[in-house]
Amino acid sequence: MMPSLFFPRRLPQSVRLLALALLSVFLSVFTQGQGDLRSMALDAALPVQWFDSRTAALWDEVVGSLQSRAALETENARLRQALAAAQPLLLDRDILRSENRQLLALLDSFPQAPGRVMAARVVAENFTAGNQIITVDHGQNDGVFIGQAVLAAGGLAGQVVAVGTMTSQIALLSDLDSSVPAQSAENDQPLLVNGTGDPRELQIPFQARNTPLRAGERLVTSGLGGRYPPGLPIGTIQSIRRNGTQAFADILVHPAVALGRLNTVLLLWPQGQQQATKTP
Amino acid sequence: MNALLLTLGFFLALAGDSLPMGPLYLALRPDFVALLLLYWAITSATELGLGVAWIIGLVQDVVDGGVLGAHAMAAAVMIFILYAGLGKVRNLPPWEQLFFIFILLLAERLVAWSWQIWGGPIAWNLALLLGPLTAALLWPVFVYLLDRIRHRLRNA
Repeated sequence: MMPSLFFPRRLPQSVRLLALALLSVFLSVFTQGQGDLRSMALDAALPVQWFDSRTAALWDEVVGSLQSRAALETENARLRQALAAAQPLLLDRDILRSENRQLLALLDSFPQAPGRVMAARVVAENFTAGNQIITVDHGQNDGVFIGQAVLAAGGLAGQVVAVGTMTSQIALLSDLDSSVPAQSAENDQPLLVNGTGDPRELQIPFQARNTPLRAGERLVTSGLGGRYPPGLPIGTIQSIRRNGTQAFADILVHPAVALGRLNTVLLLWPQGQQQATKTP
Repeated sequence: MNALLLTLGFFLALAGDSLPMGPLYLALRPDFVALLLLYWAITSATELGLGVAWIIGLVQDVVDGGVLGAHAMAAAVMIFILYAGLGKVRNLPPWEQLFFIFILLLAERLVAWSWQIWGGPIAWNLALLLGPLTAALLWPVFVYLLDRIRHRLRNA
């Protein structure tokens, strides 16, 4: 029924497998780091992703309609309470912001506006051994660019690594290739926060055993390197272990964003980078 | 199986493999493409070519956004093992095939997983075992459903 595609039938299976293995290695090695190829692959995957997003939306709707009225009412009450609790903080925030603006003016620099954001829906999860990647429904058409910072409820979620015409892919903070310049909210010592391949855990490398960091400290982006704007929450230090004779401490960080279950993310267009360097 | 049905089947399988359904689904989800490939190889009257399996794996790689060639190689290896070492499995009833399906899918996933090393460091975790396990447990149901669908279409 199915004709042999590449090989005459008389070639033994093992020879064919070997040829395919060579072809695979060739393909894997020579397609690494080809951005254009990645964009093309994303566009090719569009029908599958469209189907995925429709299915996920349908699933959400079914689950939503199954939730009883009582459950919704309790949730409503809980949210109202949370809102009431957040109200004074919001007030505080306004005061702090105006104070901050005055202080920054004193420092002869411009206040950093948080920038423009755009909400994007997660249409597919592509988790492999080496990558923790999600696909969202905005791409080149909306001005998404590679390296763009991505936020989610709670703080920083990751960065854009591939852009298609209508979709783009985001490497989460937990991706093994991800490394974010950070600092503790308490002191300004520069740190890195790396992905571990596990969406529930990040880690800080190269900290001496007598590091001043403590469990429970909150980490934010430091803005070094210019990829992420400063001050975005990354997570909280979960544990610090000093193993035997190892030179460095094992520091685990609990991410501020629930990386394993993202429905919506915010793409961030930072503003005022040129303005910030301009002298008044 | 006709070409249209196969295309539709693999489309659905590809979609199922990247469905954003949260961490539990992610950990437990079987590799639908590999599962469908095995079903095809086991039920088809003639041998499924390694090249065909390789191409289907490559499509999976494109959709996945991972290293190109990872699933392609894995699919070819899986089909190779099926024909070279486990030819008799094709004649067993589905629930007796269960164990061999697990082995085949585990081999597929091991290859696809470790192949990602071409793209950078990789992590090892439990999903490596869990996916093939759920897939193997689903196998008899899967075979039953697909047999029914094929039967229905043939008689229609």
